[in-house]
Amino acid sequence: MYAAELVGVTKRFGPVLANDGIDLAVARGEVHAVVGENGAGKSTLMSILYGLHRPDAGEVRRDGHRVVLRSPTDAIRHGLGMVHQRFRLFPGLTVAENIVIGAEPVRKGRLDRAAANEAVAALSERYGLRADPSALVGGLPVGVRQRVEILRALYRHAEVLILDEPTAVLTPGETERLFEVLRTVAATGVSILLVTHKLSEVLAVGDRVTVLRQGRVTGRFTTSETDADELVNAMIGRSLTPPVRRRAHAPAGDPLLEVRDLTVRDADGVARLSEVSFTVRPGEIVGLAGVAGSGQRELIDSVTGLRGAVPEVLLTGTPVKAGRDPRVAYVPEDRHGRATAPAMSVAENVLMGAQRDLASRWALPRAKVRARARDLVDRFSISAASVDVPIGALSGGNAQKAVLARELTRPSTVVVAEEPTQGVDVGVRERVHDLLRAARDEGAAVLLQSSELSELRDLADRILVLYEGRVVAEFPGDATEKELGRAMTGATG
Amino acid sequence: MSAPAVAHRVVASAPVVAVAGALLLTTLVMLVVGVDPALAYPALVRGAVLDGNLEYTVAAFVPTLGMALAFALPLRAGEFNLGGDGQLAAGGVTAAAVALLVPLPPGAAVVLPLIAGAVAGGLVAVVAAPLSTRLGIPAIVSTLLISAPAVSLASYLVRFPLAEPNTGIAQTPPLPDAAHLPALGGSGYLTIGLPLIAALTALWLYADGRTVLGYEIRATGQNREFARYGGVRVGRVAALALAGGGAFAGLSGALIVLGPPHRFVDGALTAPGYTFTAVAAVLLASARPVVVPLTVALLTFLQVGGQGMEREAGVPSQLTQIVQGLIIVIVAVLATLRARRPR
Ligand SMILES: Nc1ncnc2c1ncn2[C@@H]1O[C@H](COP(=O)(O)OP(=O)(O)OP(=O)(O)O)[C@@H](O)[C@H]1O
Ligand SMILES: [Mg+2]
Repeated sequence: MYAAELVGVTKRFGPVLANDGIDLAVARGEVHAVVGENGAGKSTLMSILYGLHRPDAGEVRRDGHRVVLRSPTDAIRHGLGMVHQRFRLFPGLTVAENIVIGAEPVRKGRLDRAAANEAVAALSERYGLRADPSALVGGLPVGVRQRVEILRALYRHAEVLILDEPTAVLTPGETERLFEVLRTVAATGVSILLVTHKLSEVLAVGDRVTVLRQGRVTGRFTTSETDADELVNAMIGRSLTPPVRRRAHAPAGDPLLEVRDLTVRDADGVARLSEVSFTVRPGEIVGLAGVAGSGQRELIDSVTGLRGAVPEVLLTGTPVKAGRDPRVAYVPEDRHGRATAPAMSVAENVLMGAQRDLASRWALPRAKVRARARDLVDRFSISAASVDVPIGALSGGNAQKAVLARELTRPSTVVVAEEPTQGVDVGVRERVHDLLRAARDEGAAVLLQSSELSELRDLADRILVLYEGRVVAEFPGDATEKELGRAMTGATG
Repeated sequence: MSAPAVAHRVVASAPVVAVAGALLLTTLVMLVVGVDPALAYPALVRGAVLDGNLEYTVAAFVPTLGMALAFALPLRAGEFNLGGDGQLAAGGVTAAAVALLVPLPPGAAVVLPLIAGAVAGGLVAVVAAPLSTRLGIPAIVSTLLISAPAVSLASYLVRFPLAEPNTGIAQTPPLPDAAHLPALGGSGYLTIGLPLIAALTALWLYADGRTVLGYEIRATGQNREFARYGGVRVGRVAALALAGGGAFAGLSGALIVLGPPHRFVDGALTAPGYTFTAVAAVLLASARPVVVPLTVALLTFLQVGGQGMEREAGVPSQLTQIVQGLIIVIVAVLATLRARRPR
C-alpha cells in the first residue's frame, strides 16, 4: 500500500493542460523525486496533493483510501505537509511559536510557552533538526527557516512531506544538511516528495524518481539504476550538449566595472564589506562565490546603484549613478520580491526600465508595450498563455526567463547576474548560460554571483571569493570545487 | 470569452454580489425593525431620481466622485488616503478665502479659487509623504492624523477671520457673483462642476493605463521593491500620488463652496460623509478604475435615496450607511475567500 497516490490527475488552466492524466505513487518512508522542465506541471501536481488546487479529473489517495482535499486544512488533517518555497513564517514570532501556531498547547486559555518550547525541542531532537525554539525567526538564515517549516509540518503529524524546490534558496552546505534531515525523517517512516531541477540532488537523495514533461509522466526510475543522462533524456527528449568552456580571445581593454576599496557599513556601523577592490573588463565573466551573507547583497546593490551613488564604484570610468544605473543590466535572485511584480502582466513586467524609451512624450501606447513583450516572449521562448497574464501565473522557470529577457536586452555594458539559473530546468540553464556567454562575447563585463560552484566554473574567467565582507581569494575559472569551498569557509592557504 | 461566460463573470463579480448581499441584509433589517420594504424601496427610488430629485442626486455625485478619485489615485501607488475630510475642508476654505479676499476679473474669479483649493488639498495630503518615507508612519495613519487638525483649522477660519460679521453663524459671507460656478442650463443645483469632474476622471483613467507616470504609480503600488529596482523613484511617485489625491479632494471642496449656496458653511463639507461613501465606492470597484464612476453613482443613489426614504417612509437614513458598511464588509470577505479558495 502506498502512503500517497495521485491517480489519473488532470488539471487545466484555461487553454493550458498543466497535468494530463498523471499517476504517481509514493511508498512509506521513501524519498521520491519529481523532475521535469519548467512548466512541466510539477508545482501544479504538488498543489493538488496539498489541496491548493482541485483536480479536474482523477483522485488523491492516502494509505489506499480516496480523500477529497478542498483546502490545505483538509490536507493537513490527512497527514500531508508542504514546505513552500516562499516561507510562510512570521518573522516577529519565535521558532516555537511559528511551529505550534494554529495548534498551540494552551493553559488557562493562553499559549503555554513552556510546553510549546518543550514540544518543539523534543521534535527537533527526534528528527535531528537543530533549531533553537526561543529564537526569533526574523533573524535566522534561510536554511534554518526552512527547517522550521519542516518542523511545523512534522508537528502536525505529517506523514507525507512535500518540498517544492527546497534547495533553490540554499547554499551547498545548507543543501547537504537538508538532505541529511530528509534521510533522517524518511527513516522514521515519513514519505517525502521532492521537486528539484538539480539532477545531482535527485541521484544523491532520492529513492525513486518520476519525470514529467508537458503534463505527462515520461519516465519512472529507481535512482540506483539510472543516471543523469537518462533523466535528461526523459525530461527534454534529448541530451545536453557539453558546454564550450572557454573562448579563444582573452578579455581586453579598460575595465567596464571597477570597484576601488569599497567599505559598506550597516545601520549599526558594522562593516558588511571591507576594502573590496576588483575590476571586470569587457568580454570577461567574473564569478562571485561565498556562503550566503558574506557581503554579496551589499556589493551587488552598490554596483547597480541601488545603494545610491557610491563613488568607489566606477562604470566605464565614471561613478555609478543613484537609483538604478542604466548602464547595468541586473538579474536579481529574489524573483517575487524584487525582479517582478507578480500581479502585473508579463508585458508590464518586461517593460520595467524601458518605459521611458518606449513612450512618446508621456504617452505609453499599450499596443507598443504588448508588441515589445511578444517579441521578447518569442525570442527567449517563454511559454505563457499570452503577454497579458500576470507573471505570477507563469511557472518559475518561465518567469526567470522573462526577467533575463528584460535585462539582457537592455542597452547596458555591465551585466550583474545573481543566481541566474535558480529554479530553471536543465535545458533553460543551458540557454541562460549561452545568453551570458553571448553577452560576454559582445563585449559586456559580466559579474556572476552563484551559490552553485559548477555554474561558476562553467562560466567564469576568474572567481572571487567573499568571506565576511572581504575578497579573501581569487581563482582562475578552472579552480576545483574543493579549493573554492575551502576559501569560502575562510580557510587560508 | 463566450457571452454566457461574460454574463456569469459579471453576475458573480464582487461588486454585484456585495450590493445584492447588502440589499438582502438590509431588507432583513427592515423586516426586523418593522419597516415595510414594499414602502421603503419605492421611497428610496423616488427620493433619488423622481420628483425632481435626480438633479440633486447628480449634484451630490460630483463631490463624491471627486473624493473617490482622492482615495483611488493614491491607492494605485499603494497608499491609503483616509484624510479626505481634512483635504476637502482645506480646499473649500482656501477657495472661499481666495474668492472673498482677492479681487479677480470674471473667469479668473472661478478658476483661481478652484486651483487654490486643489493646491491646498494637495499640500495637506503631501505632508503625509515624508512622514511615511522618513519616519515610517504609513499613509493610512498619517493622512488620518492630519485630517482632524485640518478640519479644525478650516472651522476656526470660518468662525473667526472669515466669518460673516454680526450673524453669529459659522459661515463665510456669500461669495461674489463672479465666483459662482456657472450653472448647467438653468439648473438650480448643477454646475460646470459635473463636466469638469467627468473630464478629470477620464484624464485619470487615461493616465493610469496609458502613460509612463500611471505605469510607475501602479508598479510602485504592486511591488515597491520591484519599482525601486527598476529605477522608479518610488518615494517621489508615492508623494506625487498622495498630492494628486489631495488635489482632487481640495478641488471637490472648492466645487462645493463655489456652488450653491455659494459660501463655506462650517461642517457642510464633511457632514454628508462624502469621504466615507467615496472610500466604500472605490473598495467596491475592487481595483478596477473604470468601474469607480459606476460604484460612485450607485452609492450616491443610495445615499440621496436614503434621505427620501427617511422623509417618506420614516426609515432612518442611517440605514443607507449600514448598507454601505455591509458592502465594504462583504467586499472584504469576498476578497479573503478568493485568496483562500482552491482553484
Ligand atoms: N494559477 C495558474 N493560472 C494559469 N496557469 C497556470 C497556473 N499555475 C500554473 N499554470 C500553468 O501550468 C503549467 C504548469 O505549471 P507548473 O507551475 O506546475 O510548472 P512547474 O513544473 O512547477 O515549472 P517550474 O519548474 O518552472 O516551477 C505552466 O504552463 C503554467 O503557466
Ligand atoms: Mg514549480
